[in-house]
Amino acid sequence: MNRDDYRKAFDELSFSADFQERTADLLRTRAHELEKERTNMTFKKSKRLAVLLAACVALLAVSVSAAVAWLTPAQVAEEHNQPLLAEAFSGPDAITINETVESGDFSITLLGLVSGKNLDVLNQDLEADHTYSVLALRRLDGEALTNQNHDFMAYTMTPLVAGYSPTAVNNWTLNAGASGLAVDGVYYYLLDTQSIEMFADHTVYMAFYEGGAPNNTIFTAADDGTIAFAADFTGVQALFTLPLDPAKADPAAADAFADASGMNGWSNERSDPEEGDWDVERRETEDGETIIIQPASGDGEER
Amino acid sequence: MNSQVPFGTDETIRRIVTEYSPLLLRLACTRLGSTADAEDAVQEVFLRLLEARPCFQDAGHEKAWLIRATLQRACDIRRRAERRTVSLEAAAEAAAPIDSGSEIRTAVRALPESYGTVVHLHYYEGYTIREIAKLLGLPAATVGTRLARGRERLRQMLKEEDE
Repeated sequence: MNRDDYRKAFDELSFSADFQERTADLLRTRAHELEKERTNMTFKKSKRLAVLLAACVALLAVSVSAAVAWLTPAQVAEEHNQPLLAEAFSGPDAITINETVESGDFSITLLGLVSGKNLDVLNQDLEADHTYSVLALRRLDGEALTNQNHDFMAYTMTPLVAGYSPTAVNNWTLNAGASGLAVDGVYYYLLDTQSIEMFADHTVYMAFYEGGAPNNTIFTAADDGTIAFAADFTGVQALFTLPLDPAKADPAAADAFADASGMNGWSNERSDPEEGDWDVERRETEDGETIIIQPASGDGEER
Repeated sequence: MNSQVPFGTDETIRRIVTEYSPLLLRLACTRLGSTADAEDAVQEVFLRLLEARPCFQDAGHEKAWLIRATLQRACDIRRRAERRTVSLEAAAEAAAPIDSGSEIRTAVRALPESYGTVVHLHYYEGYTIREIAKLLGLPAATVGTRLARGRERLRQMLKEEDE
């Protein structure tokens, strides 16, 4: 059998002449339905967020997940059509964490992580070591999270490393790729970054929060290098410490990485907000008035 | 960070359907004996893409996701048919016979699934072993082995047909 014979055999296949048109119509109809559902959910969510901001309260509690049945990291990998990664999450190198933080409307559970090479079927850089982490997000009020009502891009899941600036070691510098998927009301993040094992002799964190690239309105760094959320950061937030094996650290590579990022400087000091730097919005609510203060649009911050 | 595929606008729907339909329909036919079933499988995959809104780093990731989802869906349809104890060939004839003139297509469908996919991506789509490895998430050596074994089995089946 040669290639021409093979191609000819499959070129003979006759599909419906209107398949593409019919399929595009079907998808457009479904897209409109999904948009309607999303709009309804966004309205409800905005209302809840306004109440949250008015209260200015960030609930933070750490506990070990027990009662809620999550998918395992291996099952999450399978849901993403990643058989090799699923196998790795079931293997001896996988690290199970299962720690939960409750913040705002959410319960945030870091399920686990695994590092290795050639694990991601979609990764084009097959020879490099990567770290894959899985996090589960659930609403505390029991409302199901779906692919339509959860705003995936509004949150960031990123590694951070004590002793290095949050601007130097994070998703952006680690060339991360994140995937999200809702299953049975729980939203799962699968994060793929360049391997973080080289930092294992430092305290390595996994942060999840509402917002974009790390900056000093979100994080503070202490003199000893410890990283924490800024006291006045009221967005959804969780900070987990990763139990990496210090024996896998590569201090020289870690320092070289941070230096190469060109962003290893950090200051907790912020310039005073000047008039016009902040948008103040007042909204009438059933309970009175809600005042929402946020950075002015166009200030260059990724949000 | 990657960006979310803006699948849902008229423009992106048209692009994805136009760009990937031929590849995915043919691929589904390495599992399914009916073009109608293949069309159903591919439509369901596009719908899943729309609803799941997975994030892709680039077009390569997007294509790999669609290929894998199509293979998975086609296998589901095939196994469901098998569970109903309807022979695949009979089911194919009942729906929309497509393989009366092609021993090759019949032989490809008779291959183990793992071999059929690799053979098709190599022979029809022209992917190299390394490219197939990336698309399917397999070591290149495994792809090479499956390609060699699939090709040998095809040769034997087609030879037996001739005899």
